[in-house]
Amino acid sequence: MTATALQTKFHPVLEGTLQLEVTNVSAQTDSITSITFGDPLGELLPSYVPGSHLVVQYGTGANAYSLTGAGNAPREYAISVLRVEDGAGGSLAMHALSVGDRVQVSRPRSAFAPAATAKHHLLIAAGIGITPVLSHARYAAEWGASASLIYVHRPGTGAHVQDARDLLGSGLTECTDRGSFQEVLTRKLTTQRLGTHLYVCGPADFMDSVLEQARDLGWPKGLLHSEAFSAAALDDGQPFAVNLARSGITVEVPAGVSLLETLENAGLSIPNMCRKGICGECAVPVLRGVPQHRDLYLTDQEKADNTTMMCCVSRSLDPELELDL
Amino acid sequence: MRAASQSPATVTGCEPGFRGVICVSFGAANTLADHDAGGMPRQDFRFASANPEALANLRSVLERSCVGVRLVLAGPPADVHAAASAVAECGLVDEEITLLCDEVGPRVIFCGHCHASTTTDHPIGTDVDCRGCATTLTFTDHFSRRVGGYLGFSAHAEEAA
Repeated sequence: MTATALQTKFHPVLEGTLQLEVTNVSAQTDSITSITFGDPLGELLPSYVPGSHLVVQYGTGANAYSLTGAGNAPREYAISVLRVEDGAGGSLAMHALSVGDRVQVSRPRSAFAPAATAKHHLLIAAGIGITPVLSHARYAAEWGASASLIYVHRPGTGAHVQDARDLLGSGLTECTDRGSFQEVLTRKLTTQRLGTHLYVCGPADFMDSVLEQARDLGWPKGLLHSEAFSAAALDDGQPFAVNLARSGITVEVPAGVSLLETLENAGLSIPNMCRKGICGECAVPVLRGVPQHRDLYLTDQEKADNTTMMCCVSRSLDPELELDL
Repeated sequence: MRAASQSPATVTGCEPGFRGVICVSFGAANTLADHDAGGMPRQDFRFASANPEALANLRSVLERSCVGVRLVLAGPPADVHAAASAVAECGLVDEEITLLCDEVGPRVIFCGHCHASTTTDHPIGTDVDCRGCATTLTFTDHFSRRVGGYLGFSAHAEEAA
């Protein structure tokens, strides 16, 4: 991507945001590249809460990437991106960046913050899930907070392994296979001092497994924090109809087609970004009917209220929904 | 601290790494004798009141315990709230704590002027003299979980001004 290829029309979620310059590109592993962005005039960038992410525009799309720094008065924003050959294209665009390219990015967005009252931070990462957790580890090191990390990676393919070793020392447990991870996890989950908060990031099934085991071992929800990168694959679902109250039309949503796609095909413009039920951009108001919530964004309480749904992944339990659109 | 006769462990605390239910009762009545711990291992502690020594003991018990513990605090409201405030400082979250307050009992009034605490049997909406600065304090149902007491503020201050 070159400066001349820059989009002049911003992705809706990027309006009022920052135009930054690529200041460094370096390979972490064969498939993971670290990229830093800086202000073209060398100004300090807005600080961010550890665990925050940045939305970066590419072509007509935009993707969220975790920031790997501690976040206090940063001169650069650093992300590390795993190349996904069959993804939506964001990671390939990031890997094509060179020093000097200009990119449009959001201000950092926080959805995975450390708990201020925690006595200890137990960080758990698998694969590229190390990125937001590394931000937590740097923050803990900078502020003298107590932290330990279990990092699961295949030998030779882990990003930021040396960073993790330098930051955590004996507080780092590296696991290179599932069996040893399971053993470490069970031991750690049963030996944490009171006031420990758990933070997990990695593939969806990995996070689900860690969180489920923690709950089974008596960890209350208030101590569990997770950052989703990718959602589990969802089934096609049942067909249903949506009645758009303000537009005065009814549209059919077939199995295998999302409500978001259906609304777009009907000519509506719905703000959206990840299209995977993670980012929360595509919320639509529900007036009647019970949605089948399949997103990772809404809280349990919000889901139970049935007044909002994420139209990219969620469907309907009733034959018809009425939306305030 | 007064160790419960049936449980000498109260002096030394739980075994290190305890992850069961810690039942703590304050005052004369052992309100938790019949408490159902849901099949989890339990440890019982009894204290006469939530005085500094008792709270220090409770903290040291918690410091030796691990995530997975559930804490039950029972007794007069003033003691239960003081203990809840102390254990929140240990990092426990609401889901880990159950408060079982007696229906009646004295209240703690936290003086907004000198920060001293005064215990009283007076009902909400009445006045009490602060033990620390002797200011006549009025108090409402404005309760602070952090200090474990009701906010007391100078009564009739607007009339004096």
